[in-house]
Amino acid sequence: MLEEGSLKDHFQSSDRFGEGAILWFSKILSGFLLIAVLVIHLVVNHLVVSGGLLSHQQIVSYYQMAFIPAMEIIFLIVVVTHALLGLRSVLLDLKPSNKLLRVVNISFVLIGLAAITYGIWLVVAILNQG
Amino acid sequence: MTENKKYTWNIIFKIFRKKAGQPAHYDQFDVAVNPDEYILDGIERIWAYQDRSLVFSHACHHSTCGACGMLVNGEEKLTCITTFRSVTRNGGTLRIEPLRNFPVISDLAVDMTGMFERMHAVSHRPVIADTFETSRGRKKEREDLLRLADCIECGLCISACPISATSADYIGPAVLAGAQQPGTFGENVLNIVDSEDGAWRCHSAYECTRVCPSNVDPAWRIMDLRKKLVLTRVKRMMGIKEKT
Amino acid sequence: MSEQTPKAVNWMKWFDPRSRGVGMWAFIINRLSGLGLVLYLVLHLIMLGKLAKGPQAYDQFIAMMKTPFWIAGELLVVAAVFIHGLNGVRIILTSFGIGGDRQKQLFLIIMLVAGAAVIFFAWKMFAHAGGG
Repeated sequence: MLEEGSLKDHFQSSDRFGEGAILWFSKILSGFLLIAVLVIHLVVNHLVVSGGLLSHQQIVSYYQMAFIPAMEIIFLIVVVTHALLGLRSVLLDLKPSNKLLRVVNISFVLIGLAAITYGIWLVVAILNQG
Repeated sequence: MTENKKYTWNIIFKIFRKKAGQPAHYDQFDVAVNPDEYILDGIERIWAYQDRSLVFSHACHHSTCGACGMLVNGEEKLTCITTFRSVTRNGGTLRIEPLRNFPVISDLAVDMTGMFERMHAVSHRPVIADTFETSRGRKKEREDLLRLADCIECGLCISACPISATSADYIGPAVLAGAQQPGTFGENVLNIVDSEDGAWRCHSAYECTRVCPSNVDPAWRIMDLRKKLVLTRVKRMMGIKEKT
Repeated sequence: MSEQTPKAVNWMKWFDPRSRGVGMWAFIINRLSGLGLVLYLVLHLIMLGKLAKGPQAYDQFIAMMKTPFWIAGELLVVAAVFIHGLNGVRIILTSFGIGGDRQKQLFLIIMLVAGAAVIFFAWKMFAHAGGG
C-alpha cells in the first residue's frame, strides 16, 4: 500500500520538463491577451478597406504608423507562444516518453524563436519598403 | 424461473465478455424485468439463471460502495441505482461494457487498484466531519458528527474522462477531487497535483461531473485546485509565506 | 468495443461525441479549432513572406484570396478564432471559480456569438468581393 504523498515516486519521473502551474498560466494568459488583438486584426484585415483584404501598398502604409510594428511583433510573440504551448499540451495528453518530450521541448523552443525572428525580419522588410 | 407478472418488460442484454487469453466478444441474453428495477438486478439474474461464468463487481446495492459502475449503451452508470426505465424501453437493447480506462480483470469487472492507491496517496478522506448551517446561514463543521465523504470511488469519472483514455499516468478526476477535498495540501500532494499528470491535464470537458452519481462535482474541484495551485506558486515566487 | 488500457492510440476517442454532454462538445470543438488555427498560423506566416517580395507577388496572392472559395476558407478561420477565443474565456472564468455551474449555458452563448460573428463577417467579406 502506498504511503500518503508517495505517489510521485511511484508514478512520475522527475527527469522530464512536463507542465506546471506557471506554464499553464502562461498559456491562458497569452490566450487572453490575444483575444482583443485578434478580433482587431480580423476587422482591420477583412472589413475596413474597400475590397476587404489589404493590398501591399496599404500594408506598407499601415506599418508606417508609429506603434504598429511594435504591436505586430508583440502580437506575433504572444500568438506563437500560445500556439506552441497549446500544441505541446495536446502532445502531453498522449504521454510521450522522456526522450520524445525532450525532443518536443527543444524543437518547439527553436520553432518559436525561428518564427519570431522571421516575423521581425518581415516587419523590417515591410518598413524598408515604405 | 417462475413467471412473475411484475416483470412486464423484455430487455435484450448484449454483454461484453473477456476471459484471460480469449478474444473479447459480446453475449446476448433476453431478460424479463420490471421497468423500475435496476440494471444490476438484470445482470444478477443473468448470472443466477443463464450464465454462472459472468463476472461483475457489486456489493452494497445502494450507491455507497461504488463497485457496480459499468457502461450502459456507451454511458457511465452506477448500475445499482439506474433503472431500466431511465435508459431504455420495453423491447430495447442494453449494451453493457466494463468501465473505460481501467484494465479488465474479467468480463465486466475492472482493476481499480491504481485509483485506490492514488486516492490514498493524495490524502482523500473517506470519512469527514459533517457540516451544519447556523441560524446566520454560515456553514460550520461538527467534529463529533461524521459522515462518509461524497466520493464513493466508483471510477465513473475516470472512465468518462477523454484524457484518461490516452494517458495512464494522468491521475484523473477522482484523485484530483480527492486531493482538493481536505481543503489544504502538503508538499507531497502539491507536487503530485501540480504536475504534468495532475491538474494541468484537465481540459474542462466536464464529463466527470456529468457522470458522477454522488454529487462530488469533480470538475469544480479540479478548477478550485488549479486556482489554489496558481495562487500557491505565485505566492512562493513572491516570497509570501503561507499559513500552515 | 470499449477500450480498457489508456494509450496514445486512443486519441481518436477525444473526438467521439457519442453519449457525451455539452462540455465534451466544447472540448472537441476547442481542440479541433486550436489545431486548425496552428496549421493556419504556419501557412499564414509563410504566405506573408510574399510581402517582402514586393507588390506584384503579394497583390496577385490577395486577388486569389478574394475568390469565393478562399473567402469561405477564411470564414472557417474567423469561426475558429471566435470559438476558440471565447471558449478560452469560458475556461479561464471556470478555472478561477466563475460560472462553473453554468458552463453549459456559457458554451451555448459562445456558439451563438461565434455564429453571429461568422454571419456578419460573411456578409461583409462576400459584399467586398462582389465589389461592394
